[in-house]
Amino acid sequence: MSCDELRDQYELYALGVLDAAERAELDEHLHREGDPCIEGVRRARELVSSLSSLAPESRPPARLRSKVVGMVGEPKQAWNWTLVWIVAAACLAVVAVWLNVSRHDEQRALARALLDMQGKNVELARLNEAFALMNDPAAKQLVFGEGAPKPRGRVFVNPKQGVLLLASNLTPAPAGKIYEMWIIPKGGKPLPAGLFQSQSDGSAMYLRKGAVDVALTGAIAVTLEPEAGSQAPTTQPLIVAAL
Amino acid sequence: MTFLPLLFAIYVEGDDRDLAARLKRREPAAMGELYDRYGKLAYSLIYRIVRDTGVAEDLVQETFLRVWNRAQGFDAERGALGPWLLAVARNRAIDYVRSSGGKMTRGSLELEAAEHPAVFVNFEADVLSQDRARRVRGAMDRLNENQRHVIELAYFEGLSQSEMAERMGQPLGTVKTWVRTALKNLREELREKAITA
Repeated sequence: MSCDELRDQYELYALGVLDAAERAELDEHLHREGDPCIEGVRRARELVSSLSSLAPESRPPARLRSKVVGMVGEPKQAWNWTLVWIVAAACLAVVAVWLNVSRHDEQRALARALLDMQGKNVELARLNEAFALMNDPAAKQLVFGEGAPKPRGRVFVNPKQGVLLLASNLTPAPAGKIYEMWIIPKGGKPLPAGLFQSQSDGSAMYLRKGAVDVALTGAIAVTLEPEAGSQAPTTQPLIVAAL
Repeated sequence: MTFLPLLFAIYVEGDDRDLAARLKRREPAAMGELYDRYGKLAYSLIYRIVRDTGVAEDLVQETFLRVWNRAQGFDAERGALGPWLLAVARNRAIDYVRSSGGKMTRGSLELEAAEHPAVFVNFEADVLSQDRARRVRGAMDRLNENQRHVIELAYFEGLSQSEMAERMGQPLGTVKTWVRTALKNLREELREKAITA
């Protein structure tokens, strides 16, 4: 195909969403020096970069900065999943060299496996944190929605590690909306405790990390809010788990 | 609702070339500066994709660590640091959504290629500017609902046209027409406004 015929695919290429055959065809053009597609794809990448401005503003928690900076500061003694990933990737790379993998499809399969591992690494870390929170004897377990058609599940409140919500029958929030957890102090106003979405099967697992004063907490609740979240609940709670 | 354009005005005016050079020299203080400049943008983008504040925190860390580890391959003189970091952030989030729940594994390599530091060179200086962000939003507002939806599915969910057709229950040809028209309008709108500006 000519560059004129490929023009409509530049942005899809930059987005990484072209089907394999279309991508391979455009790749060929990009490897030819002076090919007009090169400039077209560069412009497409600029356009795609600008699409990030479509995301509504969200405020990261203040602790995130120290976590990010801490990754390249003093080495930590704590179990570090990023380090595990790096070591695992290095081991796989060594194995790849040892086997003298030369065929292109085998290299692609290995790279895909590494990338899949990386994606699952974050999920695995979350699950480990959730299990640790539940298994801690200090964790208090609350049940909500028993006997009700929906939603139902459990909340674990751990004074040191945070709050874990496990729910089912929680319909995914509609477009423009999101679920928000609230920690409600006894006699106080609800405090925002993070945003989450449920899965298409109605299940949800949300972990809000950080210490919780169990003695002063009256309940954990969940409401449906605008997708940027709210500073105070704007709808009736769908979930209430009283301590 | 506040959108990222307002943030862009605050963060992109600093000298990214100097910051990129310091990242290449692996100066830990540069990581803090990188976060101050792009942390909120990356968090907002990742959160929009994964819809979970806890996961977003983890993926922001992964994003910055990835940029830190790959800064050696970045062209500090000609490279566009912000667009590169945001591409890494988007790809980490889409990879997470794909891998959690075992939805699909297609596309990791395409995303990997799309975030290689070497491809973010010779960008216009205003790619993340407030004015361009406003124009992108304006152009999106002028698309019809279907056209806007396919752009969001491609950008925020990383779906191919075949996957969009399946998700929307529409023929592939129809979806391709929406995508083609939407991108053409966005492209022309941005180019036209850039010429008249």
